[in-house]
Amino acid sequence: MKAARTAYPIRWRVMDALEAVAGILWPRFFRAGTPYLMLAPAILLVGLLVLGLWQMADASFRTLDTNTFLLSEDYSLANYKRAVTESLFITVAGRSLVGSIIVTVLTLVISFPYAYVMVRTPSATLRKFLLIALFLPFFIGQVVRAYGWLIILGNQGMVNEAFGLIGIAPMRLLYNYPAVLFGLVQYMMPFAVLMLAPALTAIPEEIEAAAGSLGADWVRTFRHVVLPMARPGFVGAGLVVLTLSLTDFAIPAMLGGGSQDFIANAIYDQFFRTSDQGLGATLALLLVAVGSLLVGLVFTLFGAGTLAMGRVKA
Amino acid sequence: MPDAANAATARDGRGEAPIAVSVRHVNMVYNGQHAVKDASFDLPKGNFLTILGPSGSGKTTLLRMIAGFGAPTSGNIVINGRAVGAVPPHRRSIGMVFQKLALFPHMTAAENVAFPLKMRRRDARTIPDKVERYLNLVRLGGLGDRRIHQLSGGQQQRVAIARALVFEPDLLLLDEPLAALDRKLREEMQLEFRRIQRELGVTTINVTHDQREALVVSDEIIVMDKGEIQQKAQPTETYRQPNNPFVANFIGVTNFLQGKALSFEAEGEVRFLHGDVVLRGRAGSAAASLGNGREVRGALRAEQIRIAAEEAALTGLDTVVSGEVEDAIFEGERVVYEISVPALDGAILRVFDHDVVGHTQFEAGRRVFLGWTVKDVLVFAG
Ligand SMILES: Nc1ncnc2c1ncn2[C@@H]1O[C@H](COP(=O)(O)OP(=O)(O)O)[C@@H](O)[C@H]1O
Ligand SMILES: [Mg+2]
Repeated sequence: MKAARTAYPIRWRVMDALEAVAGILWPRFFRAGTPYLMLAPAILLVGLLVLGLWQMADASFRTLDTNTFLLSEDYSLANYKRAVTESLFITVAGRSLVGSIIVTVLTLVISFPYAYVMVRTPSATLRKFLLIALFLPFFIGQVVRAYGWLIILGNQGMVNEAFGLIGIAPMRLLYNYPAVLFGLVQYMMPFAVLMLAPALTAIPEEIEAAAGSLGADWVRTFRHVVLPMARPGFVGAGLVVLTLSLTDFAIPAMLGGGSQDFIANAIYDQFFRTSDQGLGATLALLLVAVGSLLVGLVFTLFGAGTLAMGRVKA
Repeated sequence: MPDAANAATARDGRGEAPIAVSVRHVNMVYNGQHAVKDASFDLPKGNFLTILGPSGSGKTTLLRMIAGFGAPTSGNIVINGRAVGAVPPHRRSIGMVFQKLALFPHMTAAENVAFPLKMRRRDARTIPDKVERYLNLVRLGGLGDRRIHQLSGGQQQRVAIARALVFEPDLLLLDEPLAALDRKLREEMQLEFRRIQRELGVTTINVTHDQREALVVSDEIIVMDKGEIQQKAQPTETYRQPNNPFVANFIGVTNFLQGKALSFEAEGEVRFLHGDVVLRGRAGSAAASLGNGREVRGALRAEQIRIAAEEAALTGLDTVVSGEVEDAIFEGERVVYEISVPALDGAILRVFDHDVVGHTQFEAGRRVFLGWTVKDVLVFAG
């Protein structure tokens, strides 16, 4: 019997024991449920979100009583009416929408060459450099970065000083719409590049070479081959940039200096300045609705891109 | 460039086909290493040339330079009389079938075939007809509307060929497009390449590491090793008269017998000493390199060695030795023997017996006799 014992090492027997215990706690016929059990935390988180949304939906139908600073008991559409008629909100919504679309287009245009070079360069050093340069802003954080822009673009900032040297009068580079868009593009670029890179990696270099040998110069290779094949990447990156910039708070707040509010800033004001939770909730829900509408529109126009799920077609 | 001038005038001389491609002293250096070293050859119009060599021998590099992907470090490439040094691929008239086919997955088969016509701005009205004609040529009539992923491996090959040929290029380049196919399909496609090439008469350069493919499809074969051209010859000559031990070893199954040259005789016969035995063969290298005392190698193809149970059955052969069967492998159309020969210092010779039906198979341990003639042994320097 001794030989048999050594042939069956202690580690295996421990595993056997563990398995037996697991069998009692989680019997075999439950096994099919294991994958769903692993989904539970995610479902819980999404559930909480839905719960919150429900609360907000409830609040959005109640108006603020300016005497008691409490929400009214009765339900009405007053908040929604204010949101879609008051010029302040219409301006903010228009600014956010137009801004996020401009930011999305600019970001994609700027990110593509970056991602392309990063994926295609034969030099490992250059690739590493581009990757690090891409991730660096992530480590810095949004607030510090925006502060950096203040230093560079401020009235006594580096850019204005440089202008001064060549005799151009200092100008206001901050607290205007272009500054906010500029900041957003810079903030969104890493996201776009990171979503475009895998899509470009999936296009074999041979395909581009083939297009060349078949008579396409690089412009037509890009238009007829790379662009259509990278479309999932563009759609995915576009969606992420669009939704993130539409809902961004920090950059309009810091680089806009209060004069260039986006929707999130308006919501913040309602919740934490005016304490009108009803109106804040209304704006928040409208933002969710507009965002979903935009995403749905992109989905129907261009397909779901890299965000699409489901089995890979053979 | 005197060489290029020669190439251009070569056509007049003996009524030969004009030169389609002329490669002159082409080098490609990556990180100080030669991927292609001093390659030179001429390819007459309408010819089917195969570049054959092991993986990493520089075949793709050479082909890509001809196609215009990456200029040579030095040297010249002339296509139809035009030096193409700095001409980008899309300005050359070259159809290429890539190793991984590189079909456009977002287009149908017909759109893939139409692509080069559109890129080359051919008359839009003629495009559908042309596409159909070339789909028929590769026997894909009626499948034009399929997406690439709806086609089988062999059908995808055919789309790639049609796409590379539809714009009637001066030159067709094939970079091992058959390597990934299973054997039956590969052999079928080899014959297809040959049929289509003959039908259109398009000058073709094919790259492969498959010696059988090279022998079957080509008018001429260039054998490459370590970036250098080893031999350029017709398939039969490449097989019968290899230039050096590498070619002899790479194509076919060859036994090598190391030795020291004894004498170089009239009619190119060489005697050399292998162990204590004097062997005879015909010179495979220049006479000067086979002088007395030089290190030489005799190359003896496995199918040139006769095998018999009795010595008497081998009378009339120049060399007859006895040996013992170490291993016998039945391959269907032939039996491959490994036989140790004490008279040759215990060398193991590989021997084919093609008369599988007529002969009984010798078992391991069995004593047998082997024989060959002087002209079966090619003697190389080294
Ligand atoms: N772009 C490249 N950079 C560096 N080395 C390369 C490159 N392309 C090929 N090589 C080297 O050149 C040699 C020949 O490669 P290749 O032409 O692909 O051989 P083959 O096609 O015969 O297998 C190989 O040693 C390979 O590593
Ligand atoms: Mg290769």
